Amino acid sequence: MASTFKTFLNNDRTTTRTLLHEAIPVTGTIMSGTYGAGVFGVGTESNIKNYSHGMFQSVYDYPYLSSSANHILDLTVGFSTGSHVSSSAQDTTQRKNKINIYNQMAQVLVGHDKDGKIQRFDVDGNLADGAGKMNEVIFINFARLLSKDEIKKGSFNLDLAVGGDFNRSGSKGAPMSAQIRLNDSSGSDGYFVNSPAGEYGVLFASNHVGTPIKSAPTKAVDAAGLIYYQAGIAVVTASVFVSGSTLGISASNSDNALGDIFVNAGFQKMYPTITGSALSASCDNFRHRIANLSFNNTTELNSTIYFCRMNNNEFNYSSNPTYLSASQIVTKTVSTDLPVSYATTIGLYSSDNELLATAKLSEPLRKDPSNEITVRVRLDY
Amino acid sequence: MGFLDNSGDIILDAVLTDLGRERLARGDGSFKITKFAVADDEIDYGKYNKNNASGSAYYDLDILTTPVLEAFTNNIASVKHKLMTIPRNNLLYLPVIKLANEVSGLSAGLWTGASTGSPATNLYLVTVDAATSLAAKESGPTGAVLSNQIGVIRGDGAPAGDMSDPNTQIALDQGLDTNKIPYSFNLDSDLIENQYILEIDDRLGKIATPLKSNVQGLLPPNFIDDDRIASYYVSRTSNQNYVSSLIPASGEQTDPNSTAVAGPRGTRLEFTIRGSLELNTSTSIFTRLGGEFNITGWGDFYYIDSAVRVTGVTTGYRVDVPIRFIKKK
Repeated sequence: MASTFKTFLNNDRTTTRTLLHEAIPVTGTIMSGTYGAGVFGVGTESNIKNYSHGMFQSVYDYPYLSSSANHILDLTVGFSTGSHVSSSAQDTTQRKNKINIYNQMAQVLVGHDKDGKIQRFDVDGNLADGAGKMNEVIFINFARLLSKDEIKKGSFNLDLAVGGDFNRSGSKGAPMSAQIRLNDSSGSDGYFVNSPAGEYGVLFASNHVGTPIKSAPTKAVDAAGLIYYQAGIAVVTASVFVSGSTLGISASNSDNALGDIFVNAGFQKMYPTITGSALSASCDNFRHRIANLSFNNTTELNSTIYFCRMNNNEFNYSSNPTYLSASQIVTKTVSTDLPVSYATTIGLYSSDNELLATAKLSEPLRKDPSNEITVRVRLDY
Repeated sequence: MGFLDNSGDIILDAVLTDLGRERLARGDGSFKITKFAVADDEIDYGKYNKNNASGSAYYDLDILTTPVLEAFTNNIASVKHKLMTIPRNNLLYLPVIKLANEVSGLSAGLWTGASTGSPATNLYLVTVDAATSLAAKESGPTGAVLSNQIGVIRGDGAPAGDMSDPNTQIALDQGLDTNKIPYSFNLDSDLIENQYILEIDDRLGKIATPLKSNVQGLLPPNFIDDDRIASYYVSRTSNQNYVSSLIPASGEQTDPNSTAVAGPRGTRLEFTIRGSLELNTSTSIFTRLGGEFNITGWGDFYYIDSAVRVTGVTTGYRVDVPIRFIKKK
């Protein structure tokens, strides 16, 4: 019986899982400077979107009003009710919003304790003890377009300018001359699994440009944030900019030398930036300090592989109209010549003969009774 | 679609079709791949040079260098010409499916009348409403009704007459179209098409009973895909009005002119077409997808060009029958 279909048997299909990684570099000039900002990163930046609700700020890779723009990340700032700056006496701008942001993110990323209370971010991952709590934090929420299924463990790098004056023409030097690198260096072999949002690692700081970190940096001291791999969220303690605090990592205590955040015409330390600025301004100040950001994302591909086996006595004839001339097979002169056909396409069909997937070979494959071909068609989901 | 890079190792470019994605999204288990077919859509076997002086290794040199396109996601546009499995290697002839427009007594002739604007010839005209079917000739010898002309299928839903009526239907014959094998020989049983797939744009028309059934009815489609291409399966056992054997019960084939194929015969497929309700009641699809033309003597008409695709289930052989839906202006 002539036929054009061949039914798959059980051993003709199998499933596999593949992890695909992409390198995602986000240069500092995308974060500030390329699109409309002044030389100091201040002014209207057309790739930065602020919202009327003022809860966060979105960063695009192109002016966001363009349809070519891709959303790459969101920035926001928050502090817990346990923070010194959370008291109303601190005259905090958007105080309630910042607390709400902290609680919302902590609820999702850290979860609740046994009494149902929202737990705070903990820089060492040990939620049970009272040490290492991060009360004032900056959140970097990566768009799924970038982080895909998850951020690859051990690949996250964030270079932050922690130098003094952001105004390069000012007297206090360029802030980019002192940079720290936040890296989840232990992520590949040491990460935590006690978050309701998946796995997370600790971001450790190291000197990147200059030596802004106090002497003999150690992981125990220089933990400066968390990276939630599946959620695609980095949580950075605000004290990366503060000298001499418990979690502080800056080397100098002198005013305006380190840890200053540039705001429009003046300088601010982290404290007034968090307390005295709207969220959008706090995000601006932090964003202008990002010198570089990079990570590898991970896409999990689940594949079904179909083995299309063409045995020696199968698929040797064609229904192509050019195959026949006056009903005679054009590749044959006499009936004893072997039939020959050339495969370029594989069609995968449902039982009701509907084409569900197609696969194309990059070049024609000769099929005749003297050979057998197995084509491995992989469909990714 | 671009060409696939064929400079190095053989690579495979696989995609889900639009129908495959639609079924996957449906989530009802209808996305289940159970079988495969192999096709050679890009291959022109005319490039096979059996006379190459360098020997048989060079016969297919031009074929093997054929560039291959990337995979189409449209389920209708892919896998057009399938490779066949026939468990014999000594076949020199294969059956074809051929339009039986020149077979006398079948009322299956093509339209060859004069027209201007966007001329139509050697195709079937399908009237979509009664006003079009019954349009009378306005000049020259006047009075002749359009739907009585050869090549005009009455697709307005009016009951078909019997074979004596001057209506037109579409008929295709299957068999070996060669004089090298006498028509009195029987076609190998495993090469006889007993089942056909008909595909037509469901927005434009539907498959209807052939003229010989006397009562016009519509064939229910088996499936309408996301592009509104309707597929109809007809078989010799279930749809005897549509598919019939060309081999008399006695097994003797005596009339050499009774079929479109010159050699041993398989089956005959007959059907008519009915215009869709949208075409019957409105001109919007005509103005969007078609145009206007003038049939000499009958005046101006809207038209849409389309095709009915006929595929033999056994051999995979496929024929596109050109049709033009028309509506009187």
